[in-house]
Amino acid sequence: MEGSSDALIVDRVLRGDVEAFRVLVERYRDRYARYALHMLGNREDAEEALQDAFTRAYRSLDRCEDPDRFAAWLFRILVNRCRTMGARRGRRGRTFVVDDGALLAAAVDHPSDRGAWREEIERALRQLRPEQREAFLLKYVEDLGYDEMSRLTGVGVSALKMRVMRACDRLRELLSEVHSA
Amino acid sequence: MLDDNDGRIEQIAHELKRAERVSSSFDARVMRAVRSLPRHARLTLWSRLTTPRRISVTPLSWGLLAASLLIIALATTRAVLVEESTNPAKPITTALFAAPSKKQTPQAVQFVLVAPDAKKVAVVGDFNGWDPKHAGYQAHHSGGGVWSVTASLPVGHHRYSFVVDDSLWVADPIAPRAVDNDFGVTNSAIIVSAQE
Amino acid sequence: MHVARCAVGAIALITSTAFAQDTSTLASRLDKPTYIAVTAIVDSARIAKMPTKPLFDKALEGAAKGSDGPTIIGAVQQRWVRMGAAKQGLGTSTSPDEIRSAVTALEAGASARDLARIRSAGGKRSVTLPLAVLTDLISRSIPIPTATDLVLQLMRSGVRDGDLSTFQRNVRADIERGADPTAAATTRARGAIRSNQPKPGRSE
Repeated sequence: MEGSSDALIVDRVLRGDVEAFRVLVERYRDRYARYALHMLGNREDAEEALQDAFTRAYRSLDRCEDPDRFAAWLFRILVNRCRTMGARRGRRGRTFVVDDGALLAAAVDHPSDRGAWREEIERALRQLRPEQREAFLLKYVEDLGYDEMSRLTGVGVSALKMRVMRACDRLRELLSEVHSA
Repeated sequence: MLDDNDGRIEQIAHELKRAERVSSSFDARVMRAVRSLPRHARLTLWSRLTTPRRISVTPLSWGLLAASLLIIALATTRAVLVEESTNPAKPITTALFAAPSKKQTPQAVQFVLVAPDAKKVAVVGDFNGWDPKHAGYQAHHSGGGVWSVTASLPVGHHRYSFVVDDSLWVADPIAPRAVDNDFGVTNSAIIVSAQE
Repeated sequence: MHVARCAVGAIALITSTAFAQDTSTLASRLDKPTYIAVTAIVDSARIAKMPTKPLFDKALEGAAKGSDGPTIIGAVQQRWVRMGAAKQGLGTSTSPDEIRSAVTALEAGASARDLARIRSAGGKRSVTLPLAVLTDLISRSIPIPTATDLVLQLMRSGVRDGDLSTFQRNVRADIERGADPTAAATTRARGAIRSNQPKPGRSE
């Protein structure tokens, strides 16, 4: 079953084979964990959003219009879940606290210092507005085209382009501060 | 427009594209949640007869249907409020208007969870002191893994959860999550509205 | 007068019995230090003539979920603070149901000012359900200002609780079908307001 197409697996699940759904979980959880992690900033929230997305996908599986594009459909659910969780967290004031001391300590001499560089990127990402972060990740990390991003998010192409541009400007600004010394 | 600065964006993207792994227990958690949901079944004639429809009663659950009809018979004006469900086998939380009484009178609410492997299911929430042993909130198994209980809830917004086998807290898969999460276990939320 | 006194007495007895029962339940579920700290907060609520049930609920929730004492105390304390904000936002003659509903709205991110605006839009009607609908919209990731404005518009147009519930259910169904939450809520609100407008009179 592991080598079967998504459509075949979806069909099996819809016929009552619950355990077949595990194949889809194994197939996509790592791939989409990345997006959730970068959007939400911590592993616990990312796994919760991802688990939630899979559960919702299972529940609504009969409404997946094109089972061959299960992955894209699942991703759309995940994007929405990340939005919900991000909004909820922001309202509760659980924002990422920038520890200036840590920032200085982690200043890298060269971007090839991977751990610290990665931390800087994550920190900068956290400082973007959620919609800009979302647009940036979809465009540059998930490599989606603007049309696909628009279908996924319900936002118009020009608005998405603006968000991506602003995200890029802000990231350059934040990350050049770290490296200018 | 590409310029030298896009090298920086490429560096950032390259770093962010690194693969991530979920925790080792992730798959098990997802499957546990999924198994507690109604099993899908491509609808045969028998499935159509036995799958719950817009009201969370299967044609074969006569006891539950009889109880629901009694409640409906008591109402005089408004239609039954049913949670929309496009998957007929989904767990459904319904609010029945029990009587044409005053605005803030508690309303009968039916909680349904499909959990074929459970031995015991209870509903806990801010309406019963979160007590999984509360007598009025023990779900009854009506066959096919369907557990349900109808209870009185005051009008307003409530938090609740299912407790399976006295140990496993299960959020209602189709209800929104309650916003607060003070104790690390997320609750479900329901609005109970009054009849006017 | 005698009957009235009996009625008041009966209500007081029932209330104090419920309180005693809640207290006794709490004592059986919490360790002593936590129980003492929580009942101190509950006593503050009693003195301020505020409902105590939301505080008991929070403590019992924590106990049921196996949380430690400090976490339970912190959660109860936070809820008490929010109850104060709810009373401030809604005004002095606020029912216990309204306070409970307001607390969940505050926990979702609404402000005391939002509560005051909703109270003002509601006039004499209970705002328990409008606040619950506001909480629900926010929990479905509709931005707070948008959610508040929609609820206010619905209330000012005279949409009653029954239709408000229908609105909430429709929004939920739309979102589950994949609609953008804000678009779904805005569209459904428009529809609910339009349905509530008086039909033009017929000419004789």
